[in-house]
Amino acid sequence: MGEMVTRTLRLMSPPDTVDTVHDLLDSTWEAVPDLHMRDRMALDTAIIELAANVIQHANRGRPITATLTIIAFTDRIEATLSDSGEIGEVDIEGRTMPEADELAESGRGIALMKALVDTVEHRRVDGFNHWTLVRAREQVRIPDAPPKHMPSVSISGIIDEMARQRALEEMGILDTPPEDRFDRVTRLAKQLFGVDGAMINLIDGDRQWAKSVAGNGPEEMPRSASVCAVTIEDERTLVVPNLFENPELRDKAVADELVFYAGHPLHAPGGERIGALCVYDGSPRTFSEREQEMLRDLADWVQQELTASHELSRAAEVQQGLLPQSLISMPGWDIAGMCLPARAVGGDFYDWYPVGEGAAITLADTMGKGIGSAIIAATVRAVLRSAARFGDVAGAVDLAAASLNADLDTTGLFVTLLHGRLDMDTGEFTYVDAGHGLTVVARRDGTIERLRSSTPPLGVDLDTEWQSSSVTLNPGDVLITASDGLLDLYDGTLDALDKIGALALLASTSSEVTDAVRTRARGVAPDDVTVVVVRRDG
Amino acid sequence: MNIEMVDGPGGVVVLRPAGRLNMVAAPAVREAVNSIVDSGRSRIAVDLSGVDFIDSSGLGALISGLKSTRQAGGDLRIAGANDQVKLVLSLTNLERVLTPYDTVENAYGDA
Repeated sequence: MGEMVTRTLRLMSPPDTVDTVHDLLDSTWEAVPDLHMRDRMALDTAIIELAANVIQHANRGRPITATLTIIAFTDRIEATLSDSGEIGEVDIEGRTMPEADELAESGRGIALMKALVDTVEHRRVDGFNHWTLVRAREQVRIPDAPPKHMPSVSISGIIDEMARQRALEEMGILDTPPEDRFDRVTRLAKQLFGVDGAMINLIDGDRQWAKSVAGNGPEEMPRSASVCAVTIEDERTLVVPNLFENPELRDKAVADELVFYAGHPLHAPGGERIGALCVYDGSPRTFSEREQEMLRDLADWVQQELTASHELSRAAEVQQGLLPQSLISMPGWDIAGMCLPARAVGGDFYDWYPVGEGAAITLADTMGKGIGSAIIAATVRAVLRSAARFGDVAGAVDLAAASLNADLDTTGLFVTLLHGRLDMDTGEFTYVDAGHGLTVVARRDGTIERLRSSTPPLGVDLDTEWQSSSVTLNPGDVLITASDGLLDLYDGTLDALDKIGALALLASTSSEVTDAVRTRARGVAPDDVTVVVVRRDG
Repeated sequence: MNIEMVDGPGGVVVLRPAGRLNMVAAPAVREAVNSIVDSGRSRIAVDLSGVDFIDSSGLGALISGLKSTRQAGGDLRIAGANDQVKLVLSLTNLERVLTPYDTVENAYGDA
């Protein structure tokens, strides 16, 4: 038999039609002289059905681009059609041939394809549909045998790898620092099985990267040398008692370091195999059925941690989305804010929105960090936003506090906040400071005034009478309010506010100040850091 | 697609499509059948000896023709199908309703 033959066609419909595809098929088969008539008939019919299906249905009349690749191996022919059409779910399994007497004029395409080739697969990756057809050639066919699923070896492998890589990147875990929740599992695995080491390895492009290592394993190594890269090719646990005795894995063995290996695949939330939990030893070893079961349990645990961090990063996106995105129009004023949670999500938030002729501005800090605080923070934000529509500043805080008291009481949390309203014409800022006390006004002449906190935080005293105070911002003045996480970035005392105030007077825009704080906080902030800067042009 | 249309024996109209009977050519077949039925004739033989290839769209056009001729009291029969056409007919379980005859003459041999 001849060598492998590959042909590719770029299709754009219109003007291309199935006739264009047919011409490519004719020219491809010319290069495969030993192709059996039955193979040719079956492949022509199946591929044209596929192309017609894509051209006709996938884009509902809109132009479509597609690439058709045909690879003729000595024992099989594979065809992959990748198209830009919009198809959601494709039920290949469920498509059966209409009954013999049913005179339907359409609906036979996919069933016909299934009858003609051994494998029909559809995948959707990155907005493209990838259809793969595989037919075993007559030379290796068992006469009259029904179609048997043959995994495609060429193109779909590339597509799977693309999907895998994408899923891994979306998890945002690559090159992150070690985390105890993962290290706990590898430490336990190492002890439990009494082996030299245990690792959580992720397969990223052409390298293996370790999220967790117990023992002396490398943090990074080429994928070509990785045994976990072999583990992820299958759903099963890979157990190799002695790598030196395994002809396919022998070249990955390292004497006295990597001789025994057992690994179980780890999945992304979408099911893609992204890596493995593995244990290894420098001496040959057996691994009982029971031990394999334990390894699978540990892998499930890692899996849960991976999923949890994925969900958390989605929660973080949502929380960032709650912060004011676009600047409200405030002629003569410049406002900027930043919120950097210590964990994925946090209990701080800031907010601003137009109220009447001015703007409402809020900065709040829920006691604690993490998810619980984040839920309360979102509630406070919503309640304050609705309350701000009624009455004055004190009235809004009073209404919000009344609605929140029960929740805060149940959860045992309390919230400090600054909520105020800015009159853009006069520069008067009327505010309630509920146990916050972290607001300063930096005057144009260089003096820094701290705004006093007169009332306790929300959730402490149910009978608080909320009273507002006011301060006037003159041209060139800057108001800065922050959460206590800011103090930790400096010396931990209120002097930090004076430093920020001085910085704000030197800066030419409000966002220059928030950028400076962001830079200072990156990677070192133990607590949520939130800052809002309001400056009056002058 | 150019479809030859000739009068056959016993008032049968013979259609001779040529080349590939796929989604590009299928509408022409439907139109040809419709124009014959509209002109008051409903016995059609489709001579497929010039057809190299058929797909499910081509098949759909033949079934559509079968239905419209039968509604008009006639029939649509096929003849001269090559191996590929026969393969598709057999895989779609349509051999009974679209029985492939050897020749156009045999298609209406019972008439």
